[in-house]
This record gives sequence, structure tokens and C-alpha cells, in this order.
Amino acid sequence: MISILVTIAVIYLGTLVTFSLIARQKEKDSKSYFLAGSKVGSILGIFTLAATLFSTFTMIGMPDFFRTHGVGSWVFLAFSDAAMVFAIISVGYYLRKKARREDFKGLSGLMAQCYKNRFAGYITFAGAFVFLVPYVAIQIRGIAIFLNATFPEAMPIWGWATAIILIILIYSEVGGLKAIIYSDMLQGIILLLIICIIAYNCVSHFGNLANLFAKVEQVNEKLLSVPGPKGLFTPQFLIASLIAIVMIPFTQPQVVTRIIIMKNYRSLFRMAIGLGVFALIIIFATLCIGMYGAVNYPDLNTADFITKVLISDQSNLVAAFAILGLIAAAISTSDSQIFALGGELRSLLTGEDLKMLNITRIAIVFFALVVFVFSLLASDQLVLLARTSFTGTALMAPMIFTAIFSERKLKMDIPVLTLGAMLIFMGSLMGIVPHAVLGLRMDLLLLISLTLVGLFSNILNR
Amino acid sequence: MKSIKRKIWLLCCISAAIIVIIGFTSLAIPENVYRPKFLGLPYPLWVSMLLSVLLVVLTVLGTLVHPGNSNSGQE
Repeated sequence: MISILVTIAVIYLGTLVTFSLIARQKEKDSKSYFLAGSKVGSILGIFTLAATLFSTFTMIGMPDFFRTHGVGSWVFLAFSDAAMVFAIISVGYYLRKKARREDFKGLSGLMAQCYKNRFAGYITFAGAFVFLVPYVAIQIRGIAIFLNATFPEAMPIWGWATAIILIILIYSEVGGLKAIIYSDMLQGIILLLIICIIAYNCVSHFGNLANLFAKVEQVNEKLLSVPGPKGLFTPQFLIASLIAIVMIPFTQPQVVTRIIIMKNYRSLFRMAIGLGVFALIIIFATLCIGMYGAVNYPDLNTADFITKVLISDQSNLVAAFAILGLIAAAISTSDSQIFALGGELRSLLTGEDLKMLNITRIAIVFFALVVFVFSLLASDQLVLLARTSFTGTALMAPMIFTAIFSERKLKMDIPVLTLGAMLIFMGSLMGIVPHAVLGLRMDLLLLISLTLVGLFSNILNR
Repeated sequence: MKSIKRKIWLLCCISAAIIVIIGFTSLAIPENVYRPKFLGLPYPLWVSMLLSVLLVVLTVLGTLVHPGNSNSGQE
């Protein structure tokens, strides 16, 4: 397997370098560097968004989530993703309209322009930074742990994390967003193919899906219903997750950018449909892998389970591609997010373009270093940490929606309250503030409160 | 023609909202229930799969009648 892996890894890295060099020749200013010229077609759009959204969290986290918490995981992610693609065509249309009018450079810059106050931009940037850094860190940590478990003699966890961050930095610094989009396409295809092949092998092991679920029923029938064996999937948890996931396209800068840079509305619409299909296929595949794990490896820890199901139980060729697919998944999500933080910073800077671009490039290296440090400290709960990140950025949704839909002069009340809500949410994560008030989860309470304030503020403004 | 498209678009939005609400009721995910099965899949799974596919189908339909569809080729 090692020789196959080395061969395809060399081809993969060579392709990334080629993409960077192709993109570099065309890159001239901030707009081409951070927004890829804003002329992305639907096929590239589908894969870059899919590769950005579906990551280590999907390939490692979701099979483990299905294995541990059962079929409710489908509602948690796939159903929420299906709702998200509908939201992309409904709200994304207005987001693009607003962004085009305000000469979009980044979400933070857009908020500063809409609220006519730089503080609104700083709040958006702070929210993106605080909640995206842990998310990127868990991607890197997830894959580093996996590689360490697979090749224990090769490198320690921090060594793998360093290697991945270096690869990301080199090709994104050189080629900008265009290089990232091209590599996302490659990574998205690898991810989709490999996870489907592994899922097929998992189902084939039992003959068919019905046999697989019959076995799961024998092992632990609680996996077949909600709230699952550990009682995680309560209606409140699922509703709060849905809101957080549906808000991703409008609150996470790396996704917002991909909606804005689509060539036209037709490309955006096709991209949304493609993403929906991609999501259902890939999450169905993780369901099959997770259920296989529930029968065969119910008691293993995450790293051992993933090593067994993706490597040991597969042929050498599939195993080699699975490792590459995992690396690709981690890289494609992390590069987009680290780069998006750079784009957010650039959108807040004013001054000569080339100078600001260089400052931002240095800042991207700094963001990568912060991510590296966090990746060494983060917990192994991939999915739950990712969800926390989604929820954190979702708290900015009422502020962003007010900016998108309102044509009037906006007051700073919503951005200030958003900052307060983010602080309370972080307090609840740290245990300083209660997790629930009167039986209502804190994240849900904050989202509902901010939405109501946003609506009332809009009505009063009129 | 434009007003019919608008009405269908509105219908798509309402339908999407209804599907999302149904998705969280005991109709779709009853507590500790996994029968009746369909093709071997437990009840909450096949129902929520069906609802997810319906949402994607609504998205396809929505793109055809979306207010931005008339100028979808240019901006």
C-alpha cells in the first residue's frame, strides 16, 4: 500500500503545484487573489463549495457519529443540508445583489459598508476568527491523529499537522483563491469517489442495506431511532443544529465568498442543486460506513474505528486513496477557511492595494500558525466542535440578514447585541454562563432573541 | 406569466418551510420508534431521507421559478 500511496501522493501534490502556478500567472490584484475574478462556473462552484463544506468532519466525524448516535445523524446533517441548499437559492440571490452593489471584498467589509460603521466589520471579523479557528484546527487535528494512528512510526501528531499546514500555505499563498478552487475540484472528486467506494464495500459485506440494518438492530436497536443511544438528538438539539447549518452560506466567510464569486444567478442556482445532490450522496455513504462500524467495531475509539474501516478492511488501492482522500478533505476545508480569514482582513483594510495584499498574505501565515497551535490543543470531538463553530457564526445571521434586506440607514444595535450574544455563547461553552435557561438551550435562546430583535428593529426603522 | 412564477415560487418557499417543520415533529422522528421499515431502513431514516430529497426537488423547482431566474444568465 505504501508504494501506491507514495505514487498517488506525488501526483496529487504535483497537481496542486501546477494549479498554483497556473493561477499565479493570472493573479494581479486583491480581487483576483481573494475573489478569483468572480467568474466561477457551476461545476467548479459545486465542487469548491462541496469540498469546503465536506471535510474531515464528514469523512471521519460523520461515520463515527452514525456509529455512536445512530440514524438521527441523518436529520442532524443531511436534512439540514437539504434545507441549506434551498436557503442558498432564496437568500443567496439577495446576498449577491447586495454584495454587487457594495463592491464586495469580504463579509466584514460588507457589514462595515452596510452599517456605515467599521465596528460592524470588526465584530464580523472577530466572530469569524473566534469560531472558524477551532473548526479549522479540528480538521487538521482529525487528520493528524488518523495519520499518526495509521503510520505510528512515521511522525508524531504535531509533525503531520505541520506538514499539512505547510502544504496549505504554499499553494494558497502562491495561487490565491483560484488555486484553492481548482484544488477543491480535485479534492471534491477524490472525496466523493472514495467515500462511495468504501460505503459500497461496507454494504457488500452484509449483502445489502436491509441485512446491514437488520444486524444493527441486533447489536443496538437504539441506533435506529431518535434520540439515539446517548440521547443526543433531542428536538432542541436538532432544531438548533438546523438553524446553525442553514446559516452557514451567509455567515461563514469562505462560503459567502463562493456564493458571491459565481459567474451569474444561473451558475449559483445550478451550484445549489449540485451541492444538494452531493450532500445527500456523501452523507448516505457515511451512514453506510457508520452502520458497518456499529456492527463490527462498536467499542473502538474514533481513530481505531476509522483506521479499521477506511484502511484495514479495504484493498491496498482503496486504502491508499482513502488516506489521500482524508488528507484532501482536511486540506480543502482548512485552506478555504484560513484564506477566507485573510480575505476578511483585507476587506477591512484601506490603502494601496498591493501593500494591503502583502499585509494580508503575512496575516494568512499568522492565522495558519494560530490554527496549528489550536490543532495541538483541540478535543477529538470532531462533529460536536464543528457544530459549535456553525452555531457561533450563525449568531451573526440576524445582523447579516438585516444588512442584506434593509434598504434604510442601519443602526448599530444589532451588531452590538450580536457581539454580546457571541460573548454569552462563549461563556456558556466555558461553563461561566448556564447552558440552558428555563429548559431552552442557550444557543437556541440567543438565536431566537437576536432574530426577534432584528425583526423589531427593522419594523421600528420603517 | 411572471405573476404565476412568483406564486409558484411562494408556494415552493411555503412547502419548504412545511417540510422543515414536519422533519422535526414526531411524524418524521418519533421517539424510540423505528418501525415500519421500508427496504430495510428504519422509519425515522427513510422518512427524513424522503423529506431531504423533497427539499432538493423543491430547490430544483425553485430555481426554475425564482424571481432572479428571468435574468439568470446575466446580472
